[in-house]
Amino acid sequence: METVFQLIAVLAILAGTAFSVLGVLGYVRMPDIYTRLHATAKVGVFGGVLLLIATVVWTPFSAGKGLVLIFYLLLTGPVTSHALGSAAYRIGVPLRGAIRDDLTENGDGSNDPH
Amino acid sequence: MTDLLNYVLYLALLIHMGLAAVVLWRIARGENDIDRLIGADLISTLALAMLVLLSLIERRSTYIDVALGLAALTSVGTIALAKYLADEQMF
Repeated sequence: METVFQLIAVLAILAGTAFSVLGVLGYVRMPDIYTRLHATAKVGVFGGVLLLIATVVWTPFSAGKGLVLIFYLLLTGPVTSHALGSAAYRIGVPLRGAIRDDLTENGDGSNDPH
Repeated sequence: MTDLLNYVLYLALLIHMGLAAVVLWRIARGENDIDRLIGADLISTLALAMLVLLSLIERRSTYIDVALGLAALTSVGTIALAKYLADEQMF
């Protein structure tokens, strides 16, 4: 049974590291702030949470702290990404390669949705 | 099996350190403020992952406490800085 848990931990660590590598690759290579944000959100949600799942499954200590940290990461990751994307849009960072922009259809064509 | 787990843990720690170096290089030649802020948030997430890996390597739960504090502080800091950049005021 210990071996099964260790195998799950190894698989979770490898998958989380792969997600982190893909997220950083997206941060370096994506053409736009918004697509870049889409890639980096995966590092927090999948990379961190999969490593913490490995900590919870195979652990020499109690699993409560890992569960609290998983809950906190799942709570704050989307909030942070939304705050960054909203700030970039309100500053006026241009969208690259966008077909249409729904938020500019409310009046004078300004970049501010409020 | 424990040897395999240790090898995987050290490999993942090395990969995360390399990723943090790549993100630092990318921040240094970033486009604008929001781009650099995204990079800082990404580095904090990578530091959290490194602390989790260190707690697994050392078999000690203190690093998880440090990771909890880091997650709490950096998420609030990133949200506050994004709001400051967008509105020119904090509250």
